[in-house]
Amino acid sequence: MAKYVEVPVGPQHPALHEPIMLRVKLDGEVVEGVDIVTGYNHRGVEKLGEKNSWVRDIYIFSRICGICNAVHAQTYTQGVEKLMGVEPPPRAKYIRTIVMELERIHSHMLINAVMAEAIGFDTLFMLIMRDRERVMHLKEIITGQRVHADIHIIGGVKRDLKPETAEKVLRVLDYIEARLKHYKKVFEEDYTIRKRLEDVGKISKQEALKHSLVGPVLRASGVPSDVRVDDPYSAYDELKPNIVVRHEGDSLARMLLRWDEALESVRLIRAAIKNMPKGNPVPKAIKRAAGKGEVFSRVEAPRGELIYHIVSTGGPKPYRIKVRTPSFNNIVNSGFAYIGERLADVPVILTSFDPCISCTERVLVVDEKKGLRKWVPFMALSRGEIRVA
Amino acid sequence: MGMDVRNKLIRYSPWLVHFNTGACNGCDIEVLAAITPLFDPERMGVKLAPNPRHGDILIVTGAVTKKAGERLKRLYDQMPSPKAVVAVGACAISGGVFAGSYPLVSGADKVIPVDVYVPGCPPRPEAIIDGILKATKKLEGGGEGD
Amino acid sequence: MTELPSFLSRWGAEEVGPHRLVIRVEKDKLRDAVKDLVSADEMIYLSTMSAVDYPERGVIELNYFFWSVTEKKGIIIKVEVPRDKPEIDTITDILPGANNAELEAHDLFGVVFKGNKSLRRGFLLPPEIVEAGIYPLRKDAKGV
Repeated sequence: MAKYVEVPVGPQHPALHEPIMLRVKLDGEVVEGVDIVTGYNHRGVEKLGEKNSWVRDIYIFSRICGICNAVHAQTYTQGVEKLMGVEPPPRAKYIRTIVMELERIHSHMLINAVMAEAIGFDTLFMLIMRDRERVMHLKEIITGQRVHADIHIIGGVKRDLKPETAEKVLRVLDYIEARLKHYKKVFEEDYTIRKRLEDVGKISKQEALKHSLVGPVLRASGVPSDVRVDDPYSAYDELKPNIVVRHEGDSLARMLLRWDEALESVRLIRAAIKNMPKGNPVPKAIKRAAGKGEVFSRVEAPRGELIYHIVSTGGPKPYRIKVRTPSFNNIVNSGFAYIGERLADVPVILTSFDPCISCTERVLVVDEKKGLRKWVPFMALSRGEIRVA
Repeated sequence: MGMDVRNKLIRYSPWLVHFNTGACNGCDIEVLAAITPLFDPERMGVKLAPNPRHGDILIVTGAVTKKAGERLKRLYDQMPSPKAVVAVGACAISGGVFAGSYPLVSGADKVIPVDVYVPGCPPRPEAIIDGILKATKKLEGGGEGD
Repeated sequence: MTELPSFLSRWGAEEVGPHRLVIRVEKDKLRDAVKDLVSADEMIYLSTMSAVDYPERGVIELNYFFWSVTEKKGIIIKVEVPRDKPEIDTITDILPGANNAELEAHDLFGVVFKGNKSLRRGFLLPPEIVEAGIYPLRKDAKGV
């Protein structure tokens, strides 16, 4: 007789702006269904945006996510610039692009490190995190902040990129590129990593499209969709990024695709520094009121398509701003991908969707028959140390 | 003096419990960065606890949503005494840019007692480690830190 | 390659900017439009659905944003539902990816998507707000 066990995963698990709880229903070790519970991180950002001015909102919206803050600022400012009829100087677009690509590299390194930790490869986690600090350092010397770049303002950027900074960036990029290639090789060749990731959480092309999955998840299932190419913004129409696509659709494909994208970002930053137009990227005055209109602004965040719907009825404040983050689709709509997999693979699949990170992830194991409730570490679950059957 | 030596001898290797109460993950990646090789707090015995019941210092990030606030209280109660709480980042201190929004209680000290406040958006990993070390003073001597 | 151009002319799409097209439909025609769109282009996904409250017109406007991967076009289907009876048919059976957007609009605006079984309040909101019956993103929401 089948004995169902319910295992809530989380909610001390921050998935972008909605940390979630996965309520996993099990038959023995096999997942029968997943319920996704959200709302632990709902901060009412959209309402706050309506209450604050166009300029202040840049800082509120970039604080939706600390990992992809520059892309949030980009999506918001490019939409507002369209409504205000402001065109940022070309040099500002290039600086924005460099910051966003650095963000992509560090985000992809971070999730691959977290994946290494989730499958019990702590050394690899520490190594990747050590090298990621170099990227954070570059972000800091360009923007002045390690995490929140806050370099976007309406009509440009806050500070120029000095030639000596650019030189330093190029120097450090050489080191980063070598390390990225090394880690990609580790993920390709390591026996343990392949065993844990290959053929786990497979998603077909049709499933990915139907469930509105975006970004690396969509591209790892064979759909060549990248906002930077399809709907170019900032300096991407001149830099011409290559879309990385894989066709396996499993967790390994999603992780390897991120290494390839990080390498592509290295190329883009080099090209951006080389072809950087001259001029002053810092605007003298900031426009504070927008005309009537609405705009759908899209950007390729590290986790996929980020989209804002900005409505203005004129005046100093927005009328409505709708934010849809990539994880909102990738995490909430991906419940189907867990069915038929084993419990120990649930953290692996969730991590492969890049739901941001936490080291305090925990799992509540509930055995309904015995009325037993037991807190177990998420990592122990992933390593198969916990038996629930 | 004698007390000092004894405190040094039996002093804790403070283990951390990290809880995100609705943060943007900015502080969380810096807390994570603070425990990795470049900053290496393990030389001070600092590491992440596998379970709140093994934790000495609770690190709170995020603006504390009402839903997460209940969890935060429960997590704090699960930790053994003596324990210290470090609020990391503008949001955990006062709600930051989100202060006053409808789903928030805005600030960790509205839910649990906070010993050390580390300001910043987000604070640097060095500042977070400094906050942790200040919190260990409370654990060592029962004092309030400096 | 795809039937998208004929779909667009059939539903009277209007170009509003680079890569952006708008189609306005009545609320009982939404399902037909979405079904038609999905059969016209198989490389399409629902990117998001955004609700906007217009109290002076007495409507809540729903903007379904679709992205066509091959044609590189964003297709926005606009539907209006009355504020006093905000009901519309679900499209989750056609595109399961609409589920999160429908749950969100239900929780924050109180739009009812008929036929969506997972619809519930408190998807994002804390219990106090739900119990007080507040839809925080409506323009006349009190206490938020």
